[in-house]
Amino acid sequence: MQIFPCPFCGPRDETEFHYVGEPKARPEPAEAVSDAEWSAYLHLNANPKGASREVWLHMTCLESFLMTRDTATNAVLGSEPFTRAAS
Amino acid sequence: MREMNWPPARGVEGTRIDRPRLMARALSGRGSALISGDLEAAIVALAPGAPILGLYALAPEGAYALRIARDRALLVTPAPLGAADGWREGWCATSVDEGWAAVDVAGPHGPFALAQGTSADLAGGSPSAALLFAGLRCLLARTQTGFRLHVEAPWLEALLIWLDGA
Repeated sequence: MQIFPCPFCGPRDETEFHYVGEPKARPEPAEAVSDAEWSAYLHLNANPKGASREVWLHMTCLESFLMTRDTATNAVLGSEPFTRAAS
Repeated sequence: MREMNWPPARGVEGTRIDRPRLMARALSGRGSALISGDLEAAIVALAPGAPILGLYALAPEGAYALRIARDRALLVTPAPLGAADGWREGWCATSVDEGWAAVDVAGPHGPFALAQGTSADLAGGSPSAALLFAGLRCLLARTQTGFRLHVEAPWLEALLIWLDGA
C-alpha cells in the first residue's frame, strides 16, 4: 500500500485516488486542429522513466492535483494543487 | 435468488446492529444540507455557531458541518432546516435530509471495526472528513462513545451489512 499526499486532505491511502493522466494543453482553436494533432493529444503520452508529473483525482474530496512520481520506483516526490500549477 | 429480486432496503428509522461487542444505530429525524462556496457565510445563515469539522473530529450534540472539500461541506442539524435550495450571496445550499444517512457505532469492538474500515491516519487529522470507509465514500466524525459515519443514503444498507460482519 502507498500513501499519496492530497494537497488539501494530506496523506491518504492510494485507494482513495484515481489517475487522470499526463498534464497537457488541449490544442486550440478546435477548427484549426488537424486530425493528427488531435489524435496525438488524445493518445500519445510522454510516459517518462523517472520523475513524472501526473494529474490525479482524490475521489473523496474531488480535488484534482498534480503529483510528481517516479515511474521507475513508484516513489512519490511531491504534490501541488492543480489550480496553482496551471496559473 | 433471481438477479432482479432484490431484498427490500431497511428503513433508516430503528435500523440497528446489536452484537455483544458492537452496536450500530442509524440516526433519523436529523437535517442535512450540502453547502458550497463561502462555508462560513452559509453556516452563519443556516446554523450559527456550528463548527466546521475535519476528519474524526468530535461531533457536538447540536449542529455541525463536516468538511468535504475546500469549498464544500455537509451541514448536519438536529432537525431538518427547511431552507430553500439555491445560491445566495457567495454560497449555495441543497437540502439532503433524505439523501444522506448517519450511523453511530459504539462498543468495545468499535475501534477494530474502525481500523478495518479505513487505513487513514485518524490521529494525524485532516481538514476533510471525507474518506473511503469499507470502500464507501463516507464522512467520519468521533462521538463520545465511538464514531459516526455519514454516507449517501443508497449506500446505507451496504454499510450496515459491512458493519454487521466487521
